Amino acid sequence: MNSIILLTSFGILNLFIGFSKSKKIIMPLVLLFLAIVFVVNLTGWNDTQTYFERMLTIDNFAIAFTAVVVLTTILVLPFSQSYIDQQNDSLAEYYSLLLFSLVGAIMMVAYENLLMLFVGIEILSISMYILAGSDKKNLKSNEAGLKYFLMGSFATGILLFGIVLIYGATGTFYISEISSAATAQSNNELTSPLLGMGLLFTLIGISFKVSAAPFHFWTPDVYEGTPTFFMAFMSTVVKAAGFAGFYKLMSVSFAGAQNIWFPTLIAMAVVTLAIGNIGAVAQNSFKRMMAYSSISHAGYLMIALLSFNDRSENAIFFYSLAYSVSTVAALGILKLVADQRDDVSYNAFNGLGRTNPLLAAVMTISMCSLAGIPLTGGFFGKLFIFSAALEQELLWLIIVAILMAAVGFYYYFRVIIAMYMREPSGDRVPVGSVATFALIFMTVLTFVLGIAPGLLSNIL
Amino acid sequence: MDYILSSLIFIPLLAVLIILCLPKHFTQGIKLVALLATSLQLILSVWLYSAFDASATVQGYQFVQQLNWISLNLQSLGLLQIQYFVGVDGISLSMVLLTGLISVIGIISSWTISKNIKGYFALYLLLVGSVMGCFLALDFFLFYLFFEFMLLPMYFLIGIWGGPRREYAAIKFFIYTLIGSLLILIVMIGLYTSAFDPAATAVRANLAPAGQVVSAEVVAEVQRQVAAGTLTGASIVHTFSIPDMQQAANFIPGSILNILSEKQLWDIPVRYLAFLLLFIGFAIKLPVVPVHTWLPDAHVEAPTPISVLLASLLLKVGGYGLFRIVYPVFPEAAAYYAYFVGLVGVLSIIYGAMCALAMADLKKLIAYSSVSHMGFVLLGLASLTSEGTNGAMYQMFSHGLISAMLFIITGVIYDRSGSRMIDNFRGLAFSMPAFTALVVVAFFASLGLPGFSGFIAELLVLLGAFSSSAVSGMLPRWLAIVATGGLLLGAAYYLWALQRMFFGKHWVHPELKGEPVMTDLTKREYLMLVPLAILVLIFGLFPSLLLNKISPDINYFLQSVLQNR
Repeated sequence: MNSIILLTSFGILNLFIGFSKSKKIIMPLVLLFLAIVFVVNLTGWNDTQTYFERMLTIDNFAIAFTAVVVLTTILVLPFSQSYIDQQNDSLAEYYSLLLFSLVGAIMMVAYENLLMLFVGIEILSISMYILAGSDKKNLKSNEAGLKYFLMGSFATGILLFGIVLIYGATGTFYISEISSAATAQSNNELTSPLLGMGLLFTLIGISFKVSAAPFHFWTPDVYEGTPTFFMAFMSTVVKAAGFAGFYKLMSVSFAGAQNIWFPTLIAMAVVTLAIGNIGAVAQNSFKRMMAYSSISHAGYLMIALLSFNDRSENAIFFYSLAYSVSTVAALGILKLVADQRDDVSYNAFNGLGRTNPLLAAVMTISMCSLAGIPLTGGFFGKLFIFSAALEQELLWLIIVAILMAAVGFYYYFRVIIAMYMREPSGDRVPVGSVATFALIFMTVLTFVLGIAPGLLSNIL
Repeated sequence: MDYILSSLIFIPLLAVLIILCLPKHFTQGIKLVALLATSLQLILSVWLYSAFDASATVQGYQFVQQLNWISLNLQSLGLLQIQYFVGVDGISLSMVLLTGLISVIGIISSWTISKNIKGYFALYLLLVGSVMGCFLALDFFLFYLFFEFMLLPMYFLIGIWGGPRREYAAIKFFIYTLIGSLLILIVMIGLYTSAFDPAATAVRANLAPAGQVVSAEVVAEVQRQVAAGTLTGASIVHTFSIPDMQQAANFIPGSILNILSEKQLWDIPVRYLAFLLLFIGFAIKLPVVPVHTWLPDAHVEAPTPISVLLASLLLKVGGYGLFRIVYPVFPEAAAYYAYFVGLVGVLSIIYGAMCALAMADLKKLIAYSSVSHMGFVLLGLASLTSEGTNGAMYQMFSHGLISAMLFIITGVIYDRSGSRMIDNFRGLAFSMPAFTALVVVAFFASLGLPGFSGFIAELLVLLGAFSSSAVSGMLPRWLAIVATGGLLLGAAYYLWALQRMFFGKHWVHPELKGEPVMTDLTKREYLMLVPLAILVLIFGLFPSLLLNKISPDINYFLQSVLQNR
């Protein structure tokens, strides 16, 4: 709760700081704000509190995922250096929107009442609509903003409709109270259509937000048009918070109604994996590839959702952390490279191994982590998810997922080919010192997660 | 001497760090560090070979080092223990010796590399360290880690230092091997959820004091309690330890890969399915027809030293995996699918040889001959007889030596002329007499002429395959008869190539760039080829040198597979 209050007030404060002439001061201040929020958030560990008539619960689950999204935001920020250098007028507003959207993300992981979930998703999404279109003079960014807004509004509408139907079937918005009604009704032919319809609509709404197929169509276009800096935020924070909320809904409310959603979700997981991975292969733009890659990772996370045992929340936590860190590193490097070479295709990375050995090394490690090579966090993320699923004897699903992971290696390694096996296509890319520090930190974190996964694999 | 195995693995990795710290232009220093590290590795592996006690009690891993590395709490499922667990037995001993030897030869062969020397030697040593780690690891996770870590350096070594189609070859190699390793990963996950470590479980369940060796009675008691279902859930310690997985008593009742489990998927018992997945995973590496197609491409594009490493060491990891993991952990499936495995082996022998016969590129010819020769490993293993399995292991060692020679030979020709096409050369014996003599040795050794190591290996395998129907009842006789045809084909393609390239009137295709002068071997090339030729001869004349060391453990391996089938 403290983190929500702090983030909101810092966001407002930041808007006022934006009036000052010097743009240089804003980023350090926002980093400081976020660091404070990160620490304050962790102080509530093991101390479950409920707020607003039990509509929000800050428990370890919420704290852990809040830590992930705040940390991700801290790591994303250093890559906005070019905005500062260009004296971008709206810088303070961008940062404030990021802070506000974090409030939405926290509500998505801490909700106890479906209305709170809805409000959280809306807060997060509306900030994202603006940020997607923030590059006002760029046609693609306009397209991204509009597309995301139109599609997102429909999805939110459907989600709301679903929530209302669930309310109609169970008489409550509280997820813990829905549980008993849902379990009782799921086997009752007379009442289950209402519940089933509500659950299906809710599923559609959330799947849209986490870009799970077949509700993923907006992802590549929107991500491509969104400025890279905000894409790094969108593809990590929205996904981590979305899956945490998704998992909470399924595990608390509908654990007893598996017969309704299990077959649907299993089909969606397979389709998501296939579309994400096979779609990524066909891309020539690194940025679009990362968009498809974010779809494919949604597929892996859905497997964790499906395995549904006492380790799936840990698996989701670990996977989101490893995925977020590597994705931010990759997109941060894309941002740096694209600023100088004005290109977001694989060719932009040509010869990076020679001009910027550090960037190339960090990129290689994040690609290895996303692909799931041992000694990186991504490997253990996948291992946890697969072992959780194996316990449910979803062997064939794991085989599908693993074959798709093999496809993943192909497109992740294309950038490594470009970096090390081609002639440089430009000069050395300038990297700020804060960004360098963030990149090194992310690399170290990826290795820590890969060498000593026990530190974080079991905290929930 | 407790750390000898770890030093074998970490000396090259340490050298990688040293090389990374050296300045880029200090090329001589980088090469010397690499040579020093691999030579040290060779000395240690020779020492290990002589110090290995073959008379020791059966199935004894020697020079064992076992440390806890990662402990993960799986909550209701207990604890997961990943160990740094290395040891050597008769099965890995010959491979360790081979790795030590070939690494040095490869460094000598790499001396002429001119592009980005620092990166090349760093990756080379990383590869050597990983291969060594693979052969020494006794923890499945550790094995898998090294197995994956072989891929990346190899991918770069082909992709950056390779021939014109290097990117295609590199990514093809990578995807194929990767699919294999992911199939292995599936089974690995299944195995660790099913298997437990009785000693660690005893400590966790307070049946034995911590920090001491757990006695055999306590282990048996724990196994009994787990089987009876009195010890369940959170008190069980799951393990990746391969020796633990080899005992049927160490599988949790009701788990997915328990030996009594009757779980089925697509009407196949899950354990059989697991065997097949693992088998395919290692078969891709071996490689076996029809998943061999990455090999010719990778060989053709790879620089000579990398081809040597690929053929001599990396292919062996596939065969070694079958020996170390697949057969002992799934003995009943191994017996069930023996016919299939033998059939695939014979298919590889014949198909590989026929392809080799049709190749116009000498390097491709040798690559396909590798496919053919690795088929013998499968055939010998599938026979599940003493002769067959010993022969399969001997074939792995002998092929490691011979194929290194063969690829160095193609390198010699390519260095002088920039071409490897058989049609471009005639009568090389006139300009390169000493080289031709060594070529004859290598070709004859590879086609299995008595007196060379290849003969011993193939003879043992065929003996095993012939006697299999009577002794273990695994393979029908006709498989052995057809496999013998592979020897005939082998003689055909080698002798034909020899005749076309080295005999007749001296002629080199005039359109080859710069009108190459085919001079005889340099000192550096002698240094690589002569020791290998001598070793091939020694191991051909005195097979007991190797067999005495490895047979006891291989026979024990065979017994345990046959008992548990």
